[in-house]
Amino acid sequence: MAAAGIRYFDRFGVTEELIARTIAEALSRGGDFADVFFQHAVTNDLALEDGSVNRAFTTVQLGVGVRVVKGDQTGYGYSEDLSLPALLSCARTAATIADGPSREAPSRYHVQSGLPQRYPVRLRWEEIGAERKLPLLGGLNERLLSADRRMRKVSVHFRDEAGAVLIADSQGRIVEDEQPMTLLYVSCLAEDGSRRESGGYNVAGRAGFEFYTPDRLDRVVREAVKRTAILFEAVPAPAGEMPVVLAAGSSGILLHEAIGHGMEADFNRKGVSIYADKIGKPIAAPFVNIVDDGTNEGARGAINVDDEGNAAGCTRLVEGGVLATYMHDAISAKHYGVAPTGNGRRESYQHAPLPRMRATYMLPGPHKKDEIIASVKRGIYCENFTNGQVNIGAGDFTFYVKNGWLIEDGKLSRPVKDVNIIGNGPRALEKVDMVSDDLAIDEGGWTCGKDGQSVPVSQGLPTVRVSSMTVGGRGQP
Amino acid sequence: MSDPMDQGELAAAARAAVELARKKGAQEVAAGAYRARHVEVSWRDGQLEKVSEATSRGLGFELYVDGRYSAVGTSDLRPEALDRFLGDAVALTRKLEPDPFRTLPDEKLYHPRAQVDLELEDPSHEALTPARRREIVAEVEAAARAVKGAGAILSVTTSFSDSHSTGFRVHSNGFEGSSRGTDFWIAAEVSAKDPDGRRPEDWSAVGSRFYAALPDAAGVGRTAAERALSRLGSRKGESAVLPMLVENRCAARLVSFLFGALSGGSLQQRRSFLEGKLGEEIGSPALDIRDEPHVKRGFGSRLYDREGLASKPFRVFEQGRLASYYIDTYYGKKLRMAPTTRGPSNLAWGPGVGDQAELVRAVGEGILVTGFLGGNSNGTTGDFSLGAQGFRIRGGQLAEPVGEMNVSGNHLELWHRLAAVGSDPYPYSAMRTPSLLFEGVQFAGL
Repeated sequence: MAAAGIRYFDRFGVTEELIARTIAEALSRGGDFADVFFQHAVTNDLALEDGSVNRAFTTVQLGVGVRVVKGDQTGYGYSEDLSLPALLSCARTAATIADGPSREAPSRYHVQSGLPQRYPVRLRWEEIGAERKLPLLGGLNERLLSADRRMRKVSVHFRDEAGAVLIADSQGRIVEDEQPMTLLYVSCLAEDGSRRESGGYNVAGRAGFEFYTPDRLDRVVREAVKRTAILFEAVPAPAGEMPVVLAAGSSGILLHEAIGHGMEADFNRKGVSIYADKIGKPIAAPFVNIVDDGTNEGARGAINVDDEGNAAGCTRLVEGGVLATYMHDAISAKHYGVAPTGNGRRESYQHAPLPRMRATYMLPGPHKKDEIIASVKRGIYCENFTNGQVNIGAGDFTFYVKNGWLIEDGKLSRPVKDVNIIGNGPRALEKVDMVSDDLAIDEGGWTCGKDGQSVPVSQGLPTVRVSSMTVGGRGQP
Repeated sequence: MSDPMDQGELAAAARAAVELARKKGAQEVAAGAYRARHVEVSWRDGQLEKVSEATSRGLGFELYVDGRYSAVGTSDLRPEALDRFLGDAVALTRKLEPDPFRTLPDEKLYHPRAQVDLELEDPSHEALTPARRREIVAEVEAAARAVKGAGAILSVTTSFSDSHSTGFRVHSNGFEGSSRGTDFWIAAEVSAKDPDGRRPEDWSAVGSRFYAALPDAAGVGRTAAERALSRLGSRKGESAVLPMLVENRCAARLVSFLFGALSGGSLQQRRSFLEGKLGEEIGSPALDIRDEPHVKRGFGSRLYDREGLASKPFRVFEQGRLASYYIDTYYGKKLRMAPTTRGPSNLAWGPGVGDQAELVRAVGEGILVTGFLGGNSNGTTGDFSLGAQGFRIRGGQLAEPVGEMNVSGNHLELWHRLAAVGSDPYPYSAMRTPSLLFEGVQFAGL
């Protein structure tokens, strides 16, 4: 049978007939819904250390996962072998979640066309050889080493990913999406007398080689040097409760942890999120608007379609300070009787999808950055972050500040570094009392972990003031 | 393949992979073939939540081509695809810069391999039935819901998972090794409703290499429920410098930062706060840790490490003194140091002074940390700052639950303040951390 309509996965022998027989087997015990997820991903890593690009890492992932859903229940099987017997075996495994008479599978499948193009690639990774990438790494090394006399070691890590997913389901839909990705991490180690500090910068996006414009590479060098050098001037951060001002950009980590995870619908359908039962209720000042958006062109968190084949749009989580909607996958959307929001994502064919964030950010507000900083007598200004975490039910969340400043008498006074900040989600949102007009979406390589699955995300924020949070430093309060 | 775990077929696949890579132009090769079967059943509030079952497989290579190096892996094992994959990988490696430090390990270090049965594979694994797995997850929930105060429980999720993995590794300079193992885990997560609207959660999990050696399933449910309920009414405490008792279960987080600074890579890249400190006192005499690769049924047990080096026990910290780094072949050559092993196997701590209750009594006033939340540690400087929750200790007894707090310090100071370790190594992790008691730790809160 001809694979009419299947483009990318045709090369692996994936046909509509193969899909039809797999879905029929998956529904053989009466599941409500079934889908098949094919994935091919080629990841290439190049790394520079001690001045030379002398190591490469390549990984090829090819596999398929079959899922059967019955109510809120999930059966799942996966395989690296795409043959019919292997697929039928996965389908039989997944089918065991149900235990009834078989459900009829569709007789026809329709390959969807006309997906949005949120990551148009000009220079495809399949066509960019190592000889194009190597000078980029070497050039960054030279520029970084010569930028500051204290610079001792530079490492550069470059990654590109090419590949595609195909999702077919028991509604007869087939969707294919090619999903490129690239990341560049630079880290610097500097010495000044007996003191040593390490810092760096990273950029990421769904794009091809054209992502690395001269402007972007200049910024990588400038930011990596600046973020390392400033550490030598840093004083210990204070300990205790105080106002916290978040710089525009990667401070969106606040939203990711304080509200993002808690708004993923699986935690709410299970009743375990601190935001369960809060839809329609005010949770923040009226000028607070928060979205989770799959549509930002080229962003690391952008998707044309989610991993369940649903359109990914812009989901308004908080509108005018009121909790508007959760982020849904197919299971939670059915549970709540709403349309899926395109948040069903998975790390790979080895995992069933879950409601996950894409690019989470706050829309601009009525204040000005200078006005916000000037309003703080004593507090912390947070610029750069490494990681964060949240307890979904208790609501306690953290984010780790790599670089920041003390604010004294309305001015950025001295740099601080390496301090964790902890708060409670709903209480921190209530305390967001100033929001600036300078929204920036960070270009960094953020990855979100949940239930052992990692997915790429983006985040952003305008300059924001939180009137009080606990700063985990060691200096005087 | 008839038996997906058949070692003979894996060995043949790994040997053929080495030959293919050489034919494609690699002078030296390390190749590994693996298969893993993983089954997981989860259960929530009276019904099955998810069943997942799969056998997965792949091949990995380290290629040494004309003085250059790459490491590649694939799950696409169709012969023509593998042939093309290796051809491309060798061509890519040739484009890199040469690296004189990159070689296969010295073959003398592959020997002597200990002649012991580590007991890592449960032969009765295949006898475990889907029905039994489902009975266990239901039993764990029932136990969670039977504890005192269970009326405040919002949701109980339990799971049973087991895996069976097998691998075979071949190096072109004479190494061959096969590894097989099983593990079984029972876990529970419980959420409770606090009158103030918060929904604190906690978990419990037990695991074993052998199914029959798993502790009582009901205990997992009870522990998770009691822990979640004990979080009700938690408050932020005041900022203060206090003794910190770290529960054995979460102490691995602190210890892993210390061990990260011992790796050859971080030393050579000068990103280690322990660089140049071999033989020096890093902590109090209570910091006493051995690396023990040959523990029977251990989660980190091995006869050879990821490079094929024969594993042997050694001291990492001896009464506070740093006795050894973790040095692999590559960074050993760059540092002109003899390789030890790339990373920890099982850790064994020196004798402790009692269980958690005894340490609580001994400390009198302080905070018991039962969970870290987020935070990080700067490997270059040793500065750390971590979110924490737990219980206030007053008058030698556990008092009110505290949360939304932070602890911070520097590892080069912290480990000197290690006043005591417990005699209660956490059995469900290769790090086997005991309770750790530190004096004078900065807590941030109100």
